[in-house]
Amino acid sequence: MSLVLEGFLNTVALTLLSFCGALVVGGLVAVLRIVPVPVLRGAGAVYVEVWRNVPLLAWLVLFVFGLPEVGVTMPLFWTAFTAIALYEAAFVAEALRSGVHAVASGQGEAARALGLTVRQSLRHVILPQAVKNVVQPLANIAIALTMATALAGVVGVVDMTRAAQRINLEIAQPLLVFTGVGLCYLVMAAGIGFGARVLERRLA
Amino acid sequence: MFDAPGPRFRRRVFWISAVSAAVLAGLVALGLWRFAAGGQLELVRWKPYLTWPVWRYLLEGLGSTVVAACATGVLAMAGGLLLALRPNRFTRAYAEVMRTVPVLLLVYVMLFVLPSFGVNLPLFWKLVVPLALSHAASYAVIFRAGVEAVDPGQREAGLSLGMPDGVVTRVVVLPQAVRHMTPLLVTQAVSLLKDTSLGYVVSYTELLFNGRVLANHNGLLIQTFLVVAFVYLVVNLALSRLAHRLEASRARTAR
Amino acid sequence: MGRLFVAALLLFVAGCSGGAESVPGGSKIDALLAKAPVYAGQVTPGSAVDRIRKRGELLIGGSQDAPLLSQLDPISGELTGFDAYLGKLLAQYIVGKPSTELLTATSETREPLLANGTVDVILQTYTITPARRERVSFAGPYYRSGQAIAVRKGTSGVSKPADLAGKTVIVGANTPGVTAVQDAAPTAKIVEFGSDPECVTALKQGRGDAYVQDQAILVADASKDPELELVGEPFTEDPYGIGIKHGDTEFTAFVDGWLREIGKSGLWQEVWRQTIGTVVTGEAPAPPAIAS
Repeated sequence: MSLVLEGFLNTVALTLLSFCGALVVGGLVAVLRIVPVPVLRGAGAVYVEVWRNVPLLAWLVLFVFGLPEVGVTMPLFWTAFTAIALYEAAFVAEALRSGVHAVASGQGEAARALGLTVRQSLRHVILPQAVKNVVQPLANIAIALTMATALAGVVGVVDMTRAAQRINLEIAQPLLVFTGVGLCYLVMAAGIGFGARVLERRLA
Repeated sequence: MFDAPGPRFRRRVFWISAVSAAVLAGLVALGLWRFAAGGQLELVRWKPYLTWPVWRYLLEGLGSTVVAACATGVLAMAGGLLLALRPNRFTRAYAEVMRTVPVLLLVYVMLFVLPSFGVNLPLFWKLVVPLALSHAASYAVIFRAGVEAVDPGQREAGLSLGMPDGVVTRVVVLPQAVRHMTPLLVTQAVSLLKDTSLGYVVSYTELLFNGRVLANHNGLLIQTFLVVAFVYLVVNLALSRLAHRLEASRARTAR
Repeated sequence: MGRLFVAALLLFVAGCSGGAESVPGGSKIDALLAKAPVYAGQVTPGSAVDRIRKRGELLIGGSQDAPLLSQLDPISGELTGFDAYLGKLLAQYIVGKPSTELLTATSETREPLLANGTVDVILQTYTITPARRERVSFAGPYYRSGQAIAVRKGTSGVSKPADLAGKTVIVGANTPGVTAVQDAAPTAKIVEFGSDPECVTALKQGRGDAYVQDQAILVADASKDPELELVGEPFTEDPYGIGIKHGDTEFTAFVDGWLREIGKSGLWQEVWRQTIGTVVTGEAPAPPAIAS
């Protein structure tokens, strides 16, 4: 039974922490992609393209086995956290960027016409509207991230899916075990969806 | 988004560019230095990847990846179309569930649960069917959005010409919807291609699995997986470029 | 090792554009095949042997990444190892030529693969257990092994299975090692990785205190890698069987007969010497007795 709990807690912790990490990194990358400095824009674009075009599983394998070879050894959980957070950050950055772009360009022009600086117009006019636009896409990313944490089980982290598989080896009740775990994921995703709707209503 | 920059701003951009370029170059150099310190940059460790047999093996894997992705794509699109055209409680629930259950878990269900009910598929399908079940839900969402983006007047015009409902959907609405959703479809294809890397788990000899066999054989774990990551990157970037080009041409014709 | 590999590779690239025949090292299996028997008795129409003969190829479920047992050389496409060679010899026995096709199986997929006839036999360190006998028929045992413990050289405090208690132990995912560790030291923390090289890498990188795996595989790893050290003797008894579709007693008896024949003629020992014997010191063991 402790294995079930360990797997569940690891999945929840990995999801929450990775999402926070992805928000921070993704936010930074989104800023890079918006600022009018070509070098930084390029760096942001390269980040997004490289991370989202390679499977997460390949990243996980590279991070878990590759990083120690270059002298960076972290516990498995934190290695998986880093890989997942950096991977999802690319998607977060894209969501944030299109959220900003979706704010009508007239809004930016109007702000500038009123004499607001670039920074002021971003902060008081564009971002508040963009935030509302990105809640739903970010919730979708969070749900995808919940599912993605299952891959951490392939590289040694005892997450919910890995725990289910090991328990199944022992008690040989596949239907029960996997339905139970599937329901857990469903509940987590429902929680995220609910949170997003509440947040959206509050921002509206 | 913003108006043309003035001279002072341009000067500032120049300095920011210079500083950030230096910082980025420094970061890259630091990474390379760490790699070199670990002996990972030695030529001996990279030379195998300059030879044809190694590439032939990896490309064989890529071939299997593409085959699996295509099979999954066809099945998932067919499923997605069915789900999108028949919006009822069941199809909505299906899409909701599939959106939230990890594909890996579905693969495990295929491996462990179904055999005890006498359902035993060949290895290839053990990878493709769970992927298709999962991606069908995503395709359904894309299709529905695509159909909704078509002006309802188009459907009404078709119906008023006396066409049956099914025909209107097929010849009037869908072709226009397809144009709206082509970029999304390509993005989905990238995601699908990446998901075939789960073959690593079921021992389907796709690119990532072949990378593992290769790494086991030559012991060059980092190099092998970097090369594999690079292959994924190139293939998916090509797909994404295609998406951008389609989007651009769509924007042109729409105007 | 790496340099040798590169040299061999360049040699291969420079030397040929041809098929797998010209691969150096292919001679090992050729020498074995020269001595291999071919079945000359009666074949029941419709039996497994009949089907395989008509197809002209033996379909084997196995591994591509088990060193010494069944490992694919991605460059030449050649499969080497104890299990792999036995597969070739069995094909020779049934079909008259060593034509086999390997389907990669995992411990979860091999029973289904047999049940629906995707493969004829499973040759994959397949431990005979009473539970499995309810779903699979086994010919053999053809090899006796056991789970052993490896550590980083210089590790103290691990000398027997009970010492694993409370430690972090690396095992191959879905291998007999998982349950072996759970039985020997229930408080051990198990970390699973998908393949043997990943487990070795993880052990060397300090992701666990010990690595539990089949002794033959560990010996092979340790012979390649001076950082690894085996401690103690195998602590489980794993008789490996050739998996056959459940209930096919005729084919099971047929394969048993073949195993007895190559055991008696010394071919089994020869295969052992060419594979596991290259890293395990000492003379070839006697092949396991096969219950009739």
